[in-house]
Amino acid sequence: MSNIRVTVRRRATAAFAQGIAFGMGILTAGAFGAPTAAAQEELFIGGALSLTGIQAPLDEPTLRGAQVAVEALNEEGGILGKQIRFVNLDGKSDPATVGNVAVQLIEQGADMIVAPCDFDFGGPASRAAQNAGLVGISTCASSPLYGSAALGDKQFTASMWNTTMGAAAAEYAFKEKGWKTAYVVTDTFIDYTVTLSRYFIEHFENLGGTVIREDKYTQGAQDFSAQLNRIQNLDEKPDVIFISSYMPDLGTIIRSIREIGIETPIMGGDSYDDTGLFAALGEAHGNDIWFVTHTYMKEGVAPGMADFLEKYEEVHGEAPDTSFTAMGWDTVMIMAKAAEKAGSTDGDKMADAMEEMTFDLLSGKLDYSSAEEGHYPYKEGALVELQNGETSFIGWMKPTNPPAP
Amino acid sequence: MGDFTYLLISGLSLGSLYALMALGLVIVYGILRLVNFAYGEYIMVAGYTLFLLSPSPLPWLVMAVVAAVMAAVMSYLTERIAFRPVREKSLTAMLITSFAVSTLLQNAALLFVSPRARVVPTPGIFSETVIIAGNVTPVREILAIVVSVALLIGFSILLRKTILGIALRAAADKFTMTRMLGVPANLVISAAFVISGLLAGIVAIFWLGRTGSVTPGIGLTPLLVAFVSTVIGGMRSLSGAVVGGYVLAFVTIIFNNLLPGDLYEFREAFIFTIVILILLFRPEGLVRGRG
Repeated sequence: MSNIRVTVRRRATAAFAQGIAFGMGILTAGAFGAPTAAAQEELFIGGALSLTGIQAPLDEPTLRGAQVAVEALNEEGGILGKQIRFVNLDGKSDPATVGNVAVQLIEQGADMIVAPCDFDFGGPASRAAQNAGLVGISTCASSPLYGSAALGDKQFTASMWNTTMGAAAAEYAFKEKGWKTAYVVTDTFIDYTVTLSRYFIEHFENLGGTVIREDKYTQGAQDFSAQLNRIQNLDEKPDVIFISSYMPDLGTIIRSIREIGIETPIMGGDSYDDTGLFAALGEAHGNDIWFVTHTYMKEGVAPGMADFLEKYEEVHGEAPDTSFTAMGWDTVMIMAKAAEKAGSTDGDKMADAMEEMTFDLLSGKLDYSSAEEGHYPYKEGALVELQNGETSFIGWMKPTNPPAP
Repeated sequence: MGDFTYLLISGLSLGSLYALMALGLVIVYGILRLVNFAYGEYIMVAGYTLFLLSPSPLPWLVMAVVAAVMAAVMSYLTERIAFRPVREKSLTAMLITSFAVSTLLQNAALLFVSPRARVVPTPGIFSETVIIAGNVTPVREILAIVVSVALLIGFSILLRKTILGIALRAAADKFTMTRMLGVPANLVISAAFVISGLLAGIVAIFWLGRTGSVTPGIGLTPLLVAFVSTVIGGMRSLSGAVVGGYVLAFVTIIFNNLLPGDLYEFREAFIFTIVILILLFRPEGLVRGRG
């Protein structure tokens, strides 16, 4: 009798374990398109985007956007007459894992690699692609390290660099708003947060503005009281506070500042582009905030936006809530157009085509410099304003003479 | 003077939360010798409960109570479903189980909600400020101190005056002996997990109130903080956990405020140097427990 009970219990445990494995499978595999092995008439795009961990809030929307692009392209006959198979393996916000899953995808026959939205987390995927002679494109890494100089001659980012992002913010602050003094808070977390502040400061000072101080913060510290105390005790009140940080701590920082009644305008980069942040700040604290991001989810902002919004809703059953979804779409579209122009998925041919072409994307026009010049992405930033917890699109901004990386 | 009060209030407010977190972790450790790595996830559960309740017309206080209770229920369930079956096996089995529970809960949040931040409702009073010694201070910080101190007092009365409390303390001291004297082990362990979860739930209200949002990975920092606090304070003593929490918070706040900009990046290194120094001189922590 007891033996039977034991077996039943073991079976139940095994079923439970399978259930868990299945759940994890959904998270890690997330295959889109036909789940068959790579055949000749298929074109295989591998993704190493992180669906878990700190990078997930940025990577998950880009994955959703990429999936929409793959569906849309397949409906129109795919790339080079081949249907696209897109598989994403969870990079888990861990650089080593990101590199490993990229290698795994390449071994399975990937023709090109979609890398995560950051240099520190996404770089390993591009390195794996470069080693295999494939084109790798990061969906939205904006560190100037994301290019051919650090990663290789077949590696690109679909995003503007922080040189553009930081300078666009500085130029809007100084020229459009007339703010002459800035206080900068830099999260020392990753290259993105550090270089964004650096180029904001450089351009703001070049324009003639004064940076009162650059204060530091570390992601995960969860305690902003010291920095807040220093802002409160400033002799001279700044015209604008530039905060280069990341969610979730970005929410804590802005809230802490607004809570104690500091109403100074706040500016930042694309990490602000998160409905989670707008909602967390709400009507009470979500005021006088401007940020530079990739695009804005509204018809007419860029050609093809209406089409994207419609298709996104068809595939996912809801409207996109952040412009990062467009970056996933753009990344796949860059790959598609480059492969069509090159007439092949060969890494060298595609990279050459990408250097020559001008892309008309949901995130504006994009031109790459040559590999010798680092694959500099010439792009505009989208300026978005947050008032009463609601965003509105201000316009495109191309800074004049942005700082050199 | 203004700066000093500011440091004091920041330190007390952060320290109160740290102390409660540490207490929640050590109350289970004391009895089972298990560092429950799923502890941070109870904070996450409370957060998502708040998020799910936010469309309802319930007053905020009710939501907060439900959220804290949900954390306690989750803690109880993990003990009942995950830990109890492996309790007799080995300590390592339980430790691995606690990692499994943590991963499972985090992935559940990822799958069923979203990897992106979700908003938790906060009451108006959390955004209000008062001026103390010339510093604008959020009322939330004062509330955190008051609630935590009240809880700590209530908890120590529970431990000293009630039968359950005496059983808990006895179990933490000499578990086998306590069982031999007729105290039901399952009841004591369940009670410890419920209290542990409840403390996590209450901490969650204030911890999440700082950001106004919850993410699947929100529990990691509280778990680490609680763990380091208990190590500083003494793993075998409940009061040690509280002391450790306040010490860690003050060390953090002092370095935050006094380190010059260039050294701030190495803040953690400074904090942990202090922790190492404490452990060199007091290897068993600041407060030595018995047994």
